Amino acid sequence: MHPALAVIFLTLFSGGGFGLMALTAIVNDFQIDGGLNPLQTMIALLVSLAFVSIGLLSSTAHLANPKNAWRAFTRWRTSWLAREGVFAVAYYPFAMLYLIWVFFTGHPAALPGLVLANMAALIGLITIFCQGMIYAVLRTIRQWNTPLVPANFYLMGLAIGATILVAIRWATGNPAPALLGTAAALLVLSAVFKGIYYFWISRPAGPTIRTATGFNRLNVRILDPGHTFGTFLTEEFGHTLAPASAHRIKALMYTIAYGVPLILLATVAQSNAAILAILAAVLVVGGIGIERWLFFVEAQHVINLYHGRQHC
Amino acid sequence: MSETITVFEDHSKQRIEYSTCYMCACRCGIKVTVENNNIRFIQGNREHPTNRGVLCAKGSAGIMKQNSPAKLHHPLLRKPGTARGAGEFVPISWNEALDMLTKRLQHIRSTDPNRLAFFTGRDQMQALTGLWAQQFGTLNWAAHGGFCSVNMAAGGLYMMPFAFWEFGDPDWDRTKYFMLWGVAEDHASNPIKIALEGLKRRGAKFVAVNPARTGYQAIADEWVAIRPGTDGLLALSMVHVLLKHELFDWDFLIRYTNAPFLVIQHPGHSDDGLFWRTESGEPYAWDMCQKTFVTGTDAGIAPSLLGDYQTPDGKTVKTVFSVLAEKYLDEAYAPERVAETTGVPAETIERLALEMAHVAFEETIEIACEWTDWAGRKHDRFIGRPVSMYAMRGVSAHSNGFQSARAIHLLQILLGTIDCPGGFCAKPPYPKPVPPPIKPAQHSAPNTPLKSSPLGYPTAPEDLVIDEQGRPKRIDKAFSWESPLAIQGLLHMVITNAHNYDPYRIDTLMLFMANMAWNSSMNTAEIQKMLVAKDPEDGEYRIPFIVVSDAFHSEMVNFADLVLPDTTYLERYDTLSMLDRPISETDAVCDSIRHPILEPNRDVRAWQEVLVDLAGRLGFPAFVNAKGEPRYKGYKDFIVYYEKEPGIGFLSGWRGEKGDQHLRGAPNPKQWEAYIEHKSFFQYHLPMSLRYFRSANKDYLEFAVEAGYIPEAKPILIELYSEPLQKFRLAGLGLYDGPQPKDPVDRERLATYFDPLPIWYEPLEQQRVDAEEYPFFAVNQRPMMMYHSWDSQNAWLRQIIAQNYLYMNRERGEQMGIKDQSWVWVESHNGKIRVQVKLIEGCQHNTVWTWNAIGKQSGAWGLTPDAPEATRGFLMNHLISELLPDKQGERRLTNSDPITGQAAWYDLRVRVYPAAPGEEGVWPTFPTIKPLPEEPKQPDRLRYHTHNPVNLKS
Amino acid sequence: MRLGLVIDLDTCVGCHACAVACKEWNTSGTTGALTDYQPYGAKPSGVWFNRIRHYEIGDYPHNKTINFPMSCMHCENAECVTVCPTGASYKRAEDGIVLVDQSKCMGCNYCSWACPYGARELDRASGTMKKCTLCIDRIYDMEIPEEERQPACVLTCPAHARMFGDFDDPESPVSRAVRERGGYQLMPELNYNPSNHYLPPRVHAPIDTERMRQKGLRAVKDWIHRAVER
Ligand SMILES: Nc1nc2c(c(=O)[nH]1)N[C@H]1C(S)=C(S)[C@@H](COP(=O)(O)OP(=O)(O)OC[C@H]3O[C@@H](n4cnc5c(=O)[nH]c(N)nc54)[C@H](O)[C@@H]3O)O[C@H]1N2
Ligand SMILES: Nc1nc2c(c(=O)[nH]1)N[C@H]1C(S)=C(S)[C@@H](COP(=O)(O)OP(=O)(O)OC[C@H]3O[C@@H](n4cnc5c(=O)[nH]c(N)nc54)[C@H](O)[C@@H]3O)O[C@H]1N2
Ligand code: SF4
Ligand code: SF4
Ligand code: SF4
Ligand code: SF4
Ligand code: SF4
Ligand SMILES: [Mo]
Repeated sequence: MHPALAVIFLTLFSGGGFGLMALTAIVNDFQIDGGLNPLQTMIALLVSLAFVSIGLLSSTAHLANPKNAWRAFTRWRTSWLAREGVFAVAYYPFAMLYLIWVFFTGHPAALPGLVLANMAALIGLITIFCQGMIYAVLRTIRQWNTPLVPANFYLMGLAIGATILVAIRWATGNPAPALLGTAAALLVLSAVFKGIYYFWISRPAGPTIRTATGFNRLNVRILDPGHTFGTFLTEEFGHTLAPASAHRIKALMYTIAYGVPLILLATVAQSNAAILAILAAVLVVGGIGIERWLFFVEAQHVINLYHGRQHC
Repeated sequence: MSETITVFEDHSKQRIEYSTCYMCACRCGIKVTVENNNIRFIQGNREHPTNRGVLCAKGSAGIMKQNSPAKLHHPLLRKPGTARGAGEFVPISWNEALDMLTKRLQHIRSTDPNRLAFFTGRDQMQALTGLWAQQFGTLNWAAHGGFCSVNMAAGGLYMMPFAFWEFGDPDWDRTKYFMLWGVAEDHASNPIKIALEGLKRRGAKFVAVNPARTGYQAIADEWVAIRPGTDGLLALSMVHVLLKHELFDWDFLIRYTNAPFLVIQHPGHSDDGLFWRTESGEPYAWDMCQKTFVTGTDAGIAPSLLGDYQTPDGKTVKTVFSVLAEKYLDEAYAPERVAETTGVPAETIERLALEMAHVAFEETIEIACEWTDWAGRKHDRFIGRPVSMYAMRGVSAHSNGFQSARAIHLLQILLGTIDCPGGFCAKPPYPKPVPPPIKPAQHSAPNTPLKSSPLGYPTAPEDLVIDEQGRPKRIDKAFSWESPLAIQGLLHMVITNAHNYDPYRIDTLMLFMANMAWNSSMNTAEIQKMLVAKDPEDGEYRIPFIVVSDAFHSEMVNFADLVLPDTTYLERYDTLSMLDRPISETDAVCDSIRHPILEPNRDVRAWQEVLVDLAGRLGFPAFVNAKGEPRYKGYKDFIVYYEKEPGIGFLSGWRGEKGDQHLRGAPNPKQWEAYIEHKSFFQYHLPMSLRYFRSANKDYLEFAVEAGYIPEAKPILIELYSEPLQKFRLAGLGLYDGPQPKDPVDRERLATYFDPLPIWYEPLEQQRVDAEEYPFFAVNQRPMMMYHSWDSQNAWLRQIIAQNYLYMNRERGEQMGIKDQSWVWVESHNGKIRVQVKLIEGCQHNTVWTWNAIGKQSGAWGLTPDAPEATRGFLMNHLISELLPDKQGERRLTNSDPITGQAAWYDLRVRVYPAAPGEEGVWPTFPTIKPLPEEPKQPDRLRYHTHNPVNLKS
Repeated sequence: MRLGLVIDLDTCVGCHACAVACKEWNTSGTTGALTDYQPYGAKPSGVWFNRIRHYEIGDYPHNKTINFPMSCMHCENAECVTVCPTGASYKRAEDGIVLVDQSKCMGCNYCSWACPYGARELDRASGTMKKCTLCIDRIYDMEIPEEERQPACVLTCPAHARMFGDFDDPESPVSRAVRERGGYQLMPELNYNPSNHYLPPRVHAPIDTERMRQKGLRAVKDWIHRAVER
């Protein structure tokens, strides 16, 4: 698949934003590490809102005919994309009201505020699920057509959220060991799940050039795709990654998204260096950005079979 | 059906016109919907005999041809003071252009008319251009046939009353076994596709003989991956199998061929190999019942097919068939012996021959129908042997193509499948006598029309167009010792010979519709140099003046001194005439027209109009009245009133003053209107009794005389054994009572190749090129969706193919360490090119091939200079020389069939090796051609439509 | 009604006529114009509803070339419709034709992701998704002569490798062809249940050459002469 920045940003940032919202709510619900103070809550909310907005705006930039974007909510009964749109938009009032609440009352953990926070968190989590399902329902793309996709989206969104919260706590001079542990655990879990995912997609399965053409018993090879240069289909779906580069980039991704941040978090736990916590958050976002890029380029749409791929 | 009727488009704003496609030379009937003076839709005309409603990709893309940015806009003159080929032109008016040209031509015509060389491409109007040349008085006229497929025409017409190419077709609806030799697309583009589907639906077997498996071969029931250039041998080996099993049509051979005629066996003498003839010149046969010699052409005799006899004056004579059987029963033709050369397993050769025999003799079809043979005998049925074949350039584009075509015909003749139900049938105006009774004009004189057409069919050395010293009289050396039966000229030699003043210097080269500076020349780079070469003595161009008629900005336009811009096919009147290349079907006489559907929006004129105009200005006798004034108001008028003989004109439908006579009749002033009213074509269905065995079918022969196709209603025999060829062979052997060549090389060629029976020999270039050094055969194919160089300007078609590759057998490529899609060098004795390779299955092991004419010179055809056609596409032509490799002590010979002068495009041998790392992109590249003065800028996006869409709501 | 196409792989010669006729008709059709990019430039491309691909099956010398036209299959389980968030994509209940309402599409490409057959192409100029309309503006245009109320691609195909009709009618030519020739759907495992079917290449029965093989095999001198009247 074409790794369009717009769609990468959409799931990366809005996923992170929703994860951050969810963790903010949980931390304040259960007063983990003493809960977040108003300032921290507001920073978290602003970051979450910013992330979600970056995601949504870039996704509209991806539309070829944005003037019809408003119609995207109409088919929520059948379309996960429509549902995602509906929930993503529904997130805003709750998140903003919570922000206003905290700003004016200074009581992030007060009940009305928590109700708003939990609503926003819930909607965010549902949105992540919708986002995952946008991909997971596609039978045309084997690498996406799995529950591992929403699971990964969750784990990564939450991991991003957690590391950002950690950064906020340390940056505001308010260490939070339990949160740090949660972040580390989420990172490890997310890395493990992604590993499972990579293992899962590495096994050949699904349609092949033979089932695609119906010549099941013989070697089938493409002679000519019928057009010399690219078409919408080759531009949208024709991206591939050589296995060698895929391995290299995955190693890089693991290092940036998980390896270094975990080390940094461990260092933060000892040294309390806020800058390292911020760096960890930035790296996680960047690393998961790479993961998201891989998620697209490695996805092989079955149309590629018709362009000569033996299997997807 | 929907309840509510949606109005999708406003048909009242549209008009429908019927005309004839010219995106290629197949000439399908089209139905054109025009809206706001733009084309809404071009579809096939359902009633049209050629395409019956279907249309190919090119035809449907006619819109984008009409919209091409490469269209010429004005007559252009090379800018005074600039060099030819520099691409600097100034627009001039038609008056200026034609005045200038008239003056020049007048001078040539009144001094030495041969100093005008007028050559045309695939024009479909040779009846007009030929007449024009004849009236001008120049011998130097021909169309594209010499570099195209003259071997098919000549191979057929010197043996049979018709031929492959546009002269005959399988009886598609009845044949049960069809063998296709060396055809990728051909002129019968849609008809073949329609027919193949019909064949397959009826369960007929379709065998394709071709080194490549694409297109038609893709759907063949059996693919025979032949080594190029060996078809003749394959066919003769099948002949061997048939003879060995005594599987031939005894009756057919006796009745319809010269198989029983007696050939004089007198080696070393001037009558050796000629027919033993009666006083009046008729060949003898031996009557088995009367046990005596009889006139072989008489009715009622029972000629012996086999045997040798002594004539009363002591000569040994042998029947043609005995000579033939002895020749091909030789073990040299046994399948096991030819398997290696042809690349076809012996088992396959034998099986195919036997399969055909099975279908011919065990699956015979009969059509109950009373018909009368040439001797007046009535028959109650036609018996058909439903095996048919078709062959084209895979066979013809080799220097052994003439004989190979004959070998394939021989196979058909033995099986008795000629012009019979299910067999290979003639298309009117064929059958014609073998060969057609027209001799090429031999003399020209100032201000005098030639006595006959510049082209014709020599039957003996006396008919050659040579001077007393035996030197060629034509610039292309057609009808000289080098190419005696060059019945369609040698367009591919014109520029080289004119440049070399060989045999003489010409003044003006006038080209119509032939891209000789690019894809239709061998050795393109050298030819471009010749086009701009100057004489060191007088500083003039070696070819002093070049006139080009083209509709588009082709590479050739760039080398013109004067460009005469033509209309497009949707903007002009045109005839597809019975006097020309027929569009007839095997069962119907057909001709058709084009008429203007769109107004040209540029200062262009139809070449037809220009020719008629020039003919009037130059005072050609056939074009002026007694007072010397132009006789015709223009082309349209000319077509109506010109009569070749009384009652016979260019168009055969709706003749007579009232428009109610067909085939023959007085001119009808409203003939064009009648054609337009009848959807632009005329069709006369032959009654069943006139449909088969026509060269011996009395009623048909009489019909053909009446229609002006043949001079007399005499039966026409198939000439299995060709006496004319034997005469040329005798001349080569120094035994002929008449002209003989002096040059030993000519003698040797005549003696070797002019075998009166089909033979196979290794193609000439290959005889001189080391097969170890150049291990691959290199050939081309026509892509179905591209017509030569024309279609790269087509925004839709070029999306399908904008770059060609060198296709190579995958296994072979892998063995050689060549990677799919890598760049490789391809080298021949003549040069080298760098191209991108594709490894495929459908390619014979020893062959590489590519699509023809995709490569373009940068800047031509309205494309941006970085168009892939110029940066990645390539021409094989750079590797092909128009001359055979040099041989010590020998003059340079044309790289053509030694009999017909057919360009031997596919004799090429090459070696292939990987390009060095970093060596990418096509090589050689050529300088970018400058845009013409009025050329529009290429748009970034195109959104062609004729009305706003009606959106359907969800 | 369930309208769709049958493609005969036994006779398709891969000429691209159907693709070009489709382009030609539809560029002025209900979802026209179909934009072309760099039409005369370095990388010519554009919007097409029908594309012909070419494959080789088997290894040399037992290889066969297969020409393979593909356009929208008008699937029964048209996931492209299900996923569309705007409702621009829809499948008509009355005849099963899948269309895109150009006035509603926002150009998100999602439907093209859901289509296994590459039938949908985004037009960058209009910003909308486009696809084969089954020539709805031909087959239902009552002003077009009845025998021409067929998709442009079907009308033009020189090898008559395309058939149009109603798969719900068991006696329609398309249903019969599928039944008699073993017509199949592409990638059935995805369960889109496409309407379009493909007819596999026919296998020609061997021709019996035994009788022929036994004939003759005498020397020429032993051939038995036959008196045939000329
Ligand atoms: N679409 C399209 N149609 C055209 C044209 C075009 O440019 N485009 N050009 C028109 C013209 S001018 C002509 S002359 C005709 C020509 O029409 P074709 O006769 O079809 O000409 P080619 O494309 O040269 O095809 C030659 C075929 O012979 C095969 N071949 C090569 N060498 C051999 C051999 O030694 N033996 C055998 N058995 N096969 C061999 C090649 O693989 C190829 O398939 O087409 C006409 N029709
Ligand atoms: N390597 C290789 N070379 C080959 C062949 C091959 O198989 N291999 N095939 C050979 C054969 S068979 C042929 S026939 C030739 C074909 O070669 P050409 O006859 O040169 O064919 P085209 O490229 O079609 O060029 C014809 C010219 O006619 C112009 N033209 C088009 N329409 C009109 C019109 O309406 N009016 C006028 N006045 N001009 C028009 C075009 O713009 C073009 O410049 O190529 C030969 N060259
Ligand atoms: S074969 Fe195609 S291009 Fe040629 S005349 Fe027919 S429709 Fe036109
Ligand atoms: S082929 Fe693709 S676009 Fe057409 S109905 Fe099926 S899924 Fe939808
Ligand atoms: S591109 Fe248009 S039709 Fe396709 S899913 Fe998006 S809105 Fe629907
Ligand atoms: S049915 Fe119409 S729109 Fe669909 S592929 Fe055929 S021509 Fe194109
Ligand atoms: S028009 Fe017919 S033969 Fe040509 S590619 Fe299309 S389906 Fe195949
Ligand atoms: Mo040709």
